[in-house]
Amino acid sequence: MHEKKLTIFVGNLGSGKTEIALNFALFLVKQGYPTTIVDLDIINPYFRTRMVRHVLEHMGLKVICPRGELANADLPSLPPAIQGVLEDTFDYGVFDVGGDEIGATILGRYKAFLLKNSYALYYVINQCRPFTRDKASIVKNIHFIEKSARLKITGLVSNTNLGWATDVQTIFKGHEVVKTVAAELDLPVAFLSVRRDLMLQVRRKLNEDIFLLPLEIFMQPPWYYGIIDPLLKIPQNAKEIPS
Amino acid sequence: MAKVLMKGNEAFGEGAIRAGCRFYFGYPITPQSELAHFLAKRMPEVGGTFLQAESELASINMVFGAAGAGARAMTSSSGPGISLMQEGISFIACAELPCVIVNIMRGGPGLGNIAPVQSDYFQATRGGGHGDYRLIVLAPSSVQEIIDLIREAFDLAEKYLNPVLMLGDGLLGQMMEPMELNEEKNFFIPPRPWAASGRMGGPKRIINTLYIVPEEAEKHNLKLNQKYKKIEANEQRWENYQTEGAQLVLVAFGTAARICMGVVDYCRDQGLPVGLIRPITLWPFPVKAFDSILSLDTVHYFLSVEMSTGQMIEDVRLAVNGRRPVFFYGRYGGMLPVLTDVVKEVKKLLLEEEP
Repeated sequence: MHEKKLTIFVGNLGSGKTEIALNFALFLVKQGYPTTIVDLDIINPYFRTRMVRHVLEHMGLKVICPRGELANADLPSLPPAIQGVLEDTFDYGVFDVGGDEIGATILGRYKAFLLKNSYALYYVINQCRPFTRDKASIVKNIHFIEKSARLKITGLVSNTNLGWATDVQTIFKGHEVVKTVAAELDLPVAFLSVRRDLMLQVRRKLNEDIFLLPLEIFMQPPWYYGIIDPLLKIPQNAKEIPS
Repeated sequence: MAKVLMKGNEAFGEGAIRAGCRFYFGYPITPQSELAHFLAKRMPEVGGTFLQAESELASINMVFGAAGAGARAMTSSSGPGISLMQEGISFIACAELPCVIVNIMRGGPGLGNIAPVQSDYFQATRGGGHGDYRLIVLAPSSVQEIIDLIREAFDLAEKYLNPVLMLGDGLLGQMMEPMELNEEKNFFIPPRPWAASGRMGGPKRIINTLYIVPEEAEKHNLKLNQKYKKIEANEQRWENYQTEGAQLVLVAFGTAARICMGVVDYCRDQGLPVGLIRPITLWPFPVKAFDSILSLDTVHYFLSVEMSTGQMIEDVRLAVNGRRPVFFYGRYGGMLPVLTDVVKEVKKLLLEEEP
């Protein structure tokens, strides 16, 4: 599951890379691995890892993202510390890359540091997103991203969801499509990610040997942030209000 | 019917295509760039034209040209880009041509920032450009509503031969929500006698914005004004949320309305009589919503909640017309109203203010 020191998540815009990267990195932390998450998203202006930096740091994760004023900008600014993560021989690194082939372009910049077999490059698929509804369009998008990243995808992440409207049926329907893509491209499905509250239902129906990554949702609009006030006594994880 | 997960910006694009729009001209600006990004991919799939212009000035004038030739055309931008388009918008309104313009608001004034605000309300509803003209302004508050309303935006633009502005903020553009995509129907696009697309033996069609003789200009202004009066009478749209028995009525649109719905739910759970009027058309402002709610006599106050220093409140005051006090709560510069802060404000008014 995590035999590689470096795990990079790419995918189409809105496929869920940020949630997956955050949850995967926190999973590594919980397993006792020293882990750094790198916000490589240079195209998304909102709902980025940097939004919940303090919460993540509190949970034991190292976070590399543009600091200070730059955190609020839509500039492709890349802190030099990123290179440190790539060269580190002890810490684990998880990379959250921006969406589509445009977002993946940034990986070309680090190609020299990404030696063959030293990293896992996972393509995240949400079959409920408009440009990745079927096998053919997903395969086409994978090729686009590989071309602009100048790297080969090494595995798929099955992340079909409809946000709050996700049900088990949706997850399995999407997962079947992901499996046909995996077969076509001869790639493994690295894991199936499922919102924590749906885990039990999914496990009951699942009849294959696959790693399930439970998801806590970090990227929420403010009317969800609003209800985390302790005054209202609705139990939720402490989250930072986006500015 | 298929459920998909879409970003607000993408929904504007998909909705436009489903409404028969085949011409998009635009220029990138955060936080609306996904709209252009989406249509760059999607327009070729339906045989439409996506064109990234060299500037916002060019985009709006391309829309002017395409509309004049009878096309369903659209552009989009964020505040600073919409400011640049004002001259063209005034020309299109004067020439009485239909088009749809999307403004995904960002922090201002000036270059500001890329955070969500609602501070282009004045620009949208008070003209923005020069001259005596109005835009129909629609303000969706969810991704589903974006796709439902943009179809209506194109229809209204053609019904009244007037530009329609869809006003959202960065959060609405960026957030993802599940939504139903209706089956694509072969719908009827009405004939376009106003288009300069060939005379075909009919009368001459001239698209003009120059009225050099004041008598003629007055006549044209009067004609436009009569049209605006008709729109004001017929096209007010709003949603009442838990307004029955409400003593305090919040007024909010778009993202602020989503937050206020949470406020209303919370207050009702606590036994506080709070409701919400959510204007869907910002121009024409839904004055009728206030008239009907005031006829019930239960309402003591109104509270306008905005992501600006107070712009819509002027229309709320005009609509209430002194019949009740109108209060204001806002956050600015890209900060969002937080549910608990609005609740505090509500409690202060309900428990401390004399009715």
